[in-house]
Amino acid sequence: MKAANISATDISKSFSIPDENDLLHVLEDIHFEIREGEFVTILGPSGCGKSTFLNILAGFEEVDSGYAICCGEPITGPSPERAVVFQSPVLFPWLDVKDNIMYGLKQLGKKKDESETLSLEYLEAVGLEGFGNYYPVQLSGGMQQRVALARSLVLGPKVLLMDEPFAALDAQTRYNMQQLLLQLWENNQQTIVFITHDVEEALLLSDRVCIMSKRPGSIIEQIAVPFERPRPISLTGTSEFSMLKSHILSRLLT
Amino acid sequence: MKVRMPENYERADIAGFILPVSLFTIWYVATQDGGVPAYLLPSPRDLILTALDFVTGSESLTPYAGTFSVHSLASVKRVLSGFCLAAAVGLPLGFLTGRIALAKTSLDPTVHLIRIVPGIGWLPLAMVWFGVGEKTTLFLISLAAFFPIYVNAAQGASSVSPMLVRAGRMLGANDLAIFTTVIFPAAIPSTVAGLRLGLGLSWAYLVLGELTGVTHGLGAVMMDARMLGNVEMILVSMIFIGILGRISDMILVGSFRKLNLLKRGFEE
Repeated sequence: MKAANISATDISKSFSIPDENDLLHVLEDIHFEIREGEFVTILGPSGCGKSTFLNILAGFEEVDSGYAICCGEPITGPSPERAVVFQSPVLFPWLDVKDNIMYGLKQLGKKKDESETLSLEYLEAVGLEGFGNYYPVQLSGGMQQRVALARSLVLGPKVLLMDEPFAALDAQTRYNMQQLLLQLWENNQQTIVFITHDVEEALLLSDRVCIMSKRPGSIIEQIAVPFERPRPISLTGTSEFSMLKSHILSRLLT
Repeated sequence: MKVRMPENYERADIAGFILPVSLFTIWYVATQDGGVPAYLLPSPRDLILTALDFVTGSESLTPYAGTFSVHSLASVKRVLSGFCLAAAVGLPLGFLTGRIALAKTSLDPTVHLIRIVPGIGWLPLAMVWFGVGEKTTLFLISLAAFFPIYVNAAQGASSVSPMLVRAGRMLGANDLAIFTTVIFPAAIPSTVAGLRLGLGLSWAYLVLGELTGVTHGLGAVMMDARMLGNVEMILVSMIFIGILGRISDMILVGSFRKLNLLKRGFEE
């Protein structure tokens, strides 16, 4: 068995509340492990600190106590190895789609023609061939999120950290994006940590579901998703799926 | 897939012409024989002739015939040097204040304290320090233009979305790259707004400075023409200052567009 790709041990995190001499305990003693190539979703009620946990894995936030380790090295800051897809696309509005995708390659010092070929390849992979010269504001929300996905994937990250990336999309676009993500994951086999509050999304996408408690958040249950891949949408109508879904919902509501 | 196209073309609207056309008509009628005397308000025809004469010197109507290029060049030079000085100090200080807490706490209160004093209030002191004319004008222009440039650059730099900075870091940008590829472009719209305000003020304070006594410049022509009782020349100078101010603004905005720094992408 390969070594755990990410392991988080005893992670706690508090924020100071402005104008008050008090601390908001967001995360308490989180233990979390994810294998190389595994797709894990984290489910939790809103405000439970799941985004904070992802930000710690991304290197945006520091922990108060505990360790977060990726590929054997402690996480000290953001890195293109751990690419993040945010809830909103957060594209650079002054760059066109192609330059947005090439941004990270430029920072790595890749040659221009090489980056251009790569960026076109990933533009095609997310189904946006021909949109390279458009500006983000000219694209719909779903298309922007595709660009954000391409911008991260083009760097060949080992880990993809996704913070409710499809929550703002309409049902149909969300389904398409989920299929796209699964297809890209099957091709590249990244490790994926995917935050969501949508139980169905978690069960359709991931190998394992981690359920977080209310604030201060900790992981209260982990469930290996038993369904075979590919998982068709009709799966959501089966009794096995419904029972698992209602079990998870009841855990979320307690 | 739907694509939103920008709708930024402007439609000429009849309503916009009603006011200027009626004002022009009233002016034209009022300055006919028996109306307002010419030493108070010249007729449109006289004004246009004086303006043409000022530029080409073909009619020799006034002592200023054909001197437009000399005076406007002097004025443009002053505006340009004063404005550039203000930008050279205001932009770096503004960006520092916008991004570094220490710079903000040590610099910002003092700058805003000085900003409260109206620019015109500096005129007497400037005349004591620099004498009348050239240096006073330069001082007044750069002082007045500094504040909007500084304030807007600081505002632009400080209000860059932290998410954009995170996105840049996650994609591998170091501190310098974050500044040049995220903070700077994201702050451009606000910064350009500040530069435009500063340029407008530069023209305003140019006139104030030139009124104190310089030999060449559109402000000097105005003051000189007032003493000669030549209202046409005062109005002509005002019009040319307006035109030059507008052209300089268009060049400023146009050059940022040309450098691909101002784009419709900013509508977000």
